[in-house]
Amino acid sequence: MKMTPAVLIVGALMVFWASAFIIVGIPSLTMKETPSEIWRPLTPLEKAGHRLYVKNGCSYCHSLFIRVNDWDIGAERIAKAGDYVGVEPAILGSERTGPDLSQEGGEHSDDWNIAHFTNPRFTSPISLMPSWDFLTESEITALTAYVQSQGGKHADLRQARQREWKKQAVEAYSGGFDRNIEWLHAQVPEVWRRMPNPYPATEAALQRGKRIYQQLCVNCHSPVGDGNGPAMPFLSPPPLNFTTLRRHMVENRYIGGIFYYQIMNGITGTAMPYFKKHLESEKIWDLANYLAVSFVGHTDANTEPRGIDASFEGAWENRYPPPGRERPDLPVAPPAPVP
Amino acid sequence: MFKFASKPQSAALAFMVSGSVWFVVGAVYGFMSAIHLVAPEFLPHVGALVFGRERPVHVNTMLYGFVGPMLVGCGLYYLPALLRTRLWSEPLAWAAFFFWNLTVLSGPVGFAFGITQGREYNEYVWLADVSLVIAVVCLIVNSALTIANRQEEQIYVSIWYFMATFLWTASNYPLGNVMWHPATGAMPGLIDSIFLWFWGHNLPGLLITPLATGAAYFVIPRVARTPLNSHTLSLLGFWLLIALYSHIGGHHVLQSPIPNWLKTVSVVDSIAMVLPVSIVVINLWMTARNFGRRIWGDPAARLVMGGVVWYIVTCIQGPLQSLPFLQRVTHFNNWTVGHAHIAMLGFGGYIALGAMWHIVPLITGRELYSKKLVSLQFGLVTFGLTGFFLVLTAAGLVQGTAWHNGETVLRVLPQLVPFMASRAALGVFIFTASLVGLYNLLMSLRRGEEQEGAQLKRAEDAA
Repeated sequence: MKMTPAVLIVGALMVFWASAFIIVGIPSLTMKETPSEIWRPLTPLEKAGHRLYVKNGCSYCHSLFIRVNDWDIGAERIAKAGDYVGVEPAILGSERTGPDLSQEGGEHSDDWNIAHFTNPRFTSPISLMPSWDFLTESEITALTAYVQSQGGKHADLRQARQREWKKQAVEAYSGGFDRNIEWLHAQVPEVWRRMPNPYPATEAALQRGKRIYQQLCVNCHSPVGDGNGPAMPFLSPPPLNFTTLRRHMVENRYIGGIFYYQIMNGITGTAMPYFKKHLESEKIWDLANYLAVSFVGHTDANTEPRGIDASFEGAWENRYPPPGRERPDLPVAPPAPVP
Repeated sequence: MFKFASKPQSAALAFMVSGSVWFVVGAVYGFMSAIHLVAPEFLPHVGALVFGRERPVHVNTMLYGFVGPMLVGCGLYYLPALLRTRLWSEPLAWAAFFFWNLTVLSGPVGFAFGITQGREYNEYVWLADVSLVIAVVCLIVNSALTIANRQEEQIYVSIWYFMATFLWTASNYPLGNVMWHPATGAMPGLIDSIFLWFWGHNLPGLLITPLATGAAYFVIPRVARTPLNSHTLSLLGFWLLIALYSHIGGHHVLQSPIPNWLKTVSVVDSIAMVLPVSIVVINLWMTARNFGRRIWGDPAARLVMGGVVWYIVTCIQGPLQSLPFLQRVTHFNNWTVGHAHIAMLGFGGYIALGAMWHIVPLITGRELYSKKLVSLQFGLVTFGLTGFFLVLTAAGLVQGTAWHNGETVLRVLPQLVPFMASRAALGVFIFTASLVGLYNLLMSLRRGEEQEGAQLKRAEDAA
């Protein structure tokens, strides 16, 4: 075959346009924009937020579709074609340096999002996201509105739940520390409110708990657990001051199960997110032991009622017993590790 | 006033110089964004310096600023040289140079301030899109009329690629950038991702690949001082490239809800891409067989051959990672970033640099300022890029397997620190290489040694 100019030019264009017809022509002719069951139009504020999302390159680190093999935020719903109706551009994204945001709406409270945009380390100390504090307040509000719309009608349901519980949480907080903690405890199911921490608070376990605290909790609840982390000014109600918990003991001890339940499920309506996707059982119990020992001063780890000790557990005596249960035969507990 | 614009081969040189400058700019932005992936609070409170705005500047400047124009510059030299004629119009080539660089300039001055369409590889705003299309059309006219005015009957394979690049880009770029929607440059809804990745993948495939392949086809036989191995293989490689490459953009959104038939097409044709790539590589390797010493001994040809090696690595990895089962782990993480770097800097960038170093003395009639600096650049880029590839691939596997086992994106971030830190450190090598290259190029233009008459003669007869 001889390449003449005509063969080259006509041939190259013909093959290209044939391919283009297959790849973009046929989809244009056949794909229909049918809204999915969760789709709803964006409000003007959310649209403004979407423009900011596009302009600032959020899509280089956040994807907008959930795959069948995903476990992270939003994994409850696999993306459908009808989720993107009318969005221009719907940037699906090619990288996940941060989590997928397609179902993010209502996963976190509005004030969590605003603190997070101002400085992502405030709410997620290990985040790699830039601070967006150079944006104006109204731009951050728009971005928050956009993120909170992700997930459509599902997001609206979660947002409504956030708002409903926020009212109660703010009201409880305005009643003072003690009223607040009573309310918080009342939201934990009865079984959890009687469950001691089943894991021994060994040195290793406390170290693991400390590492998790520093990675996930420290910038809201602060290094000394008094709730005065850098995120605090953004949050209403503010993060819990753990040290006040010593006034709220059940049968003279602070119950590990309460910590576990609240870490696992979060406190909807407040900025406290759920951690059940980030942490699994042992890590949450380790963290609960760390909070109890460091900020409350004692832990109910491994006390009755308890089942068979797990096979890995050595002989362990609680060196951080609740007041009145000290064991004079044991060496004095070293001071609790402070981060 | 515009006398310089009619000097023979001046536009070719201008394209190469601009490519070298953009390489430095792109490397600065790449380095900055790499630092931000380790230390997000580095230089805080500056809107223009956040990852989301740096990354498009880095990517677009490297693609459209460094690799693309440098290869266009090479082509503007070899096109008339291989046809034994002059470029049809030098001023028209300068016009292309002007409009092309205007588009590239809109990256650093626009993206940094949020002036962007935000679609990956399609970020340039509408006016910049128009400017690029004008540049491409100028190049089509110029190339076609140069071919028409040729003194040489045979049209060599490099020219097929060079000519076709612009024909494809002029059709493809407006399509993928949805230029009939000037405000957003996007289609509404999910179908936009199909338009986006049609260009998103054809950008390396039908802009960079044919330019780089054409340049390699020019340099390798010249340095080996032997005819090309096989005309048939050239033909096969060329037609298979366009027939297959244009179908595979869907593999970038393989796990999204786009139509299943489109996913199937993209995977099947991605695998089939092994064919045109192997054909080109085999053709070049067979040409260089027995002349390895000449290729390796010539710093410019060494870079070109290095690019050919990266090409085969990229294009074995690419088809593999289009497999749905593999993509569950390799998609969405730094594995892909590693792949993109060996494709663009490895394949495209190596060949662009090598071909430039080969061609600059042919244009100026002077020796390069320093061949040692070319070798140094080869060493720096090779160390940096090999490091990138290993580090990013490893980081991607850490991320992908952790996610696949149920770990969240946030929890894996601390594990990335050593990888991201070494990646940023390796960036120093790439950045230095870009500086060394620019210095060497400028010095070669200013005071490279005059070549001997015999050498000059050889340069003219060469093609």
